[in-house]
Amino acid sequence: MVAFPTLIRYALRRVVEAVPILLGIVTLIFLLLHLAPGDPATAYFNPNVSPEIIDRMRENLGLDRPLHEQYLKWLRSFFTGDFGYSFSQHRPVSDVLRDALPNTLYLSVVSLLLIFAVGCAVGTVQAVRQYSASDNIITFVSLFVYSMPGFWLGLMLILAFSSPAMPEALRLPISGVTSIDYEFMGPLQRLVDRVRHLVLPSFALGIASAAGVARYMRGSMLEVISQDYVRTARAKGLSERQVILKHAVRNALIPIVSLLGLYLPVLFGGSVVIEVVFSWPGMGRALYNAILARDYPVVMAASFIFGALVVVANLLADLLYAVVDPRIRASETAR
Amino acid sequence: MRVLALLGLAFFGCEDAQPEVEGPDPATISEADRYGGTVVVGGLGEIQTMNGFLSRDYMTDQVQANVLFMTLLRYDADLEPRPYLARSWEVSPDSNEIVFELRTDVRWHDGEPTTAHDVAFTFNRVKDPAVPFPNRSSFDNWEMAEVLGPHSIRLTLRPNADYLHGWAALPIMPRHILEDTAPEDLATHPFGTSEPVGNGPFRFAEHLPGDRWIFEANPAFPAELGGRPYVDRLAYRVIPNETTLFAELRSGGVDMYVRLAPEFADEVLEDPDLRLAAYPFPNYSFIAWNSQRAFFADPIVRRALTIAIDRQEIVDVVRHGLGTPAVGPIGSWHWAYDSAWQPLPHSPDSAAALLELAGWTDSDEDGIREKDGRVFSFEISTNESRERGSIAELVQHYLAEIGVDARPRIVEHQTLIADVTSPERRFDAFLLSWSQGLVLDERDQWACDRIGRPLQFTSYCNPELDPVLDSIPRATDRAVQAVLLRRYGEMIAADQPFTFLYVEKRADALRDRLQGAEPDFRGELADVRSWWLFRP
Repeated sequence: MVAFPTLIRYALRRVVEAVPILLGIVTLIFLLLHLAPGDPATAYFNPNVSPEIIDRMRENLGLDRPLHEQYLKWLRSFFTGDFGYSFSQHRPVSDVLRDALPNTLYLSVVSLLLIFAVGCAVGTVQAVRQYSASDNIITFVSLFVYSMPGFWLGLMLILAFSSPAMPEALRLPISGVTSIDYEFMGPLQRLVDRVRHLVLPSFALGIASAAGVARYMRGSMLEVISQDYVRTARAKGLSERQVILKHAVRNALIPIVSLLGLYLPVLFGGSVVIEVVFSWPGMGRALYNAILARDYPVVMAASFIFGALVVVANLLADLLYAVVDPRIRASETAR
Repeated sequence: MRVLALLGLAFFGCEDAQPEVEGPDPATISEADRYGGTVVVGGLGEIQTMNGFLSRDYMTDQVQANVLFMTLLRYDADLEPRPYLARSWEVSPDSNEIVFELRTDVRWHDGEPTTAHDVAFTFNRVKDPAVPFPNRSSFDNWEMAEVLGPHSIRLTLRPNADYLHGWAALPIMPRHILEDTAPEDLATHPFGTSEPVGNGPFRFAEHLPGDRWIFEANPAFPAELGGRPYVDRLAYRVIPNETTLFAELRSGGVDMYVRLAPEFADEVLEDPDLRLAAYPFPNYSFIAWNSQRAFFADPIVRRALTIAIDRQEIVDVVRHGLGTPAVGPIGSWHWAYDSAWQPLPHSPDSAAALLELAGWTDSDEDGIREKDGRVFSFEISTNESRERGSIAELVQHYLAEIGVDARPRIVEHQTLIADVTSPERRFDAFLLSWSQGLVLDERDQWACDRIGRPLQFTSYCNPELDPVLDSIPRATDRAVQAVLLRRYGEMIAADQPFTFLYVEKRADALRDRLQGAEPDFRGELADVRSWWLFRP
């Protein structure tokens, strides 16, 4: 097995390559943040606060230092794992991340599963029944869904599910991660409660991308179905079900895997809006509030994490690609 | 509570009374049956900390002062101070000293008694410049604290009117927990976000940042102050989207929506399960005219601009009736307000005549006035709030009618604040709102010697006004202060450095099952101890 160490070496090279990218991202964000008017001290704007107190705060926060000094100081502590202190939340940034990151990951991963499960299933069905009435209807619906802004869809879902017309049995929570009496629930109830809270936001976050994946999957399947080996599979007497699921879908999935790296940034971007609409206490909202409050340490840490997640997702997509497609492995070995 | 709903109707001046709901009457529920349940209060903004030295917004102040902690005293509906943690107080004849006698039955939620040492500790930290306490100016006139006994404390002060107001807003902090923390480290102490210990009617239960705070009833709250609150738990949920928050209110997930978005007011009135509480609030909206710009240097021009703007229509259209056209810097909620005051009338014709008088004429007949070769065309800056955007557009329309070209410029809030507070005053005119307190010491905004400082937005200067402004905080007697405040209000109204648009009416929407909650301008949570849930 020569392929596996190669794969690891490839992964390592990618990780090393990611370092300057991430450094570039944080540097750019640092500069942009400081170019924007206002700072954490002016975010304190309040007629009762005298300018002397504002100046003092600036001094305390080190904002009176030259920009390059602030940057180097931030970079140094960042590399020692110290993300700093959130001015607006009055707690360490590491605490902010600890609370917010799991919520965002949990929402994004579920949405991602939804995107690929629904997208691939729908795309396959469409390809198998190309040009049928159901194919046309699904095409229309998925284009419609694809062009719908997530926040609008989210608001519509919230209005629908909170409407008195909605039967009690179908009601779903429209905001938050857990119910207000969560702490009094048993373990099973808690799980159910979390899943119920997840339904609407993950749907609103993922459905447009699922429609996109369905389009790709349909195209990919159509291409595969017309291949010789599929005809061979049919000719040797396999059932249509076996032909599609065992031979066609597996191969059609190869290009779809690379979409993973493409959709993750879309999900993180979308989560900023979805987390506000559904009052989901995640990273997107933390980042959004931090930008408004000019809470530099949180903005820097959150952007870094989003950047790192995207880099990791792209790497994962490429590795998965190599795993599902032996030809990629071969070419890497050849290099 | 029907009364409140009817009051709400009166504000909108219309519509049929709501149909009476059949069923048991809340009044028949006995005192003993009122206990239990969880009340959920929902708001758009986050409550970041329970550290009283860091408080910086209205809801945070309220939760601290009314829920988790106690203040020395509180105001009643007539703005008279009433005992709370302080059982009584005595002022020396020359008003230089005051001795507070504290209750002896108040304990911190960890069991320690609350004593005069806690008050002295809180006061000393508030006065310490190393502590980033934002409301320090409320204690400018207070000088020294001396503990006389476990429950007795003497404070010295410089005499002034309304000297007690700072104490009605300041939650007393536990000395035994925070004493060992250096003053400059108080801001970063985890006390505020993860382990607060109070002494108020509710104790801390849980804080999920970005999501909710949960407090539970304090069974040891002094019986003389009403004892244990009726509800078992009080939750504050942050729901940053107005539509989502309103949907939660309608579907029962939230019992009170604080600071209701005005566009939902009509829906609240139509819904038999909801009621609206609306009350004048110490916050006015205004347009500031940069008097360094040639257009706005002349008070006649500023007056013309004000009377060209239909402020009542702005209240009706944008605020859905939740406001009152403003007269000047003193609103009707304040005791110094003179009920004979009238806002300037709305009259585009007089406005046009005033502009002609000031030399602004449309000589080239392009629809826009000019003077000395300068065209009357400028920008009104405001932030990205939907409400302010709509007001700016209405103002553009009103001013176009009198031949003035005002173009709305929408910028992000922080950017706008940086522009208007900078010494260069990077704006022509801007639209924002201004929050006030009971004590109106507004020299920073208007005094000639404050020009160049952040809050002197307009660079307005009237040497006759300055002595009036200076004497307001020195007046120890309300009657004297009232005369000065009225003089101040009238002089500003005459010069119109701002166009005062309207005084806000704050509105809260409540579910019918929430009983005993009567929000007014002292805050939504002032009577939280006596809230209860009607569960027929």
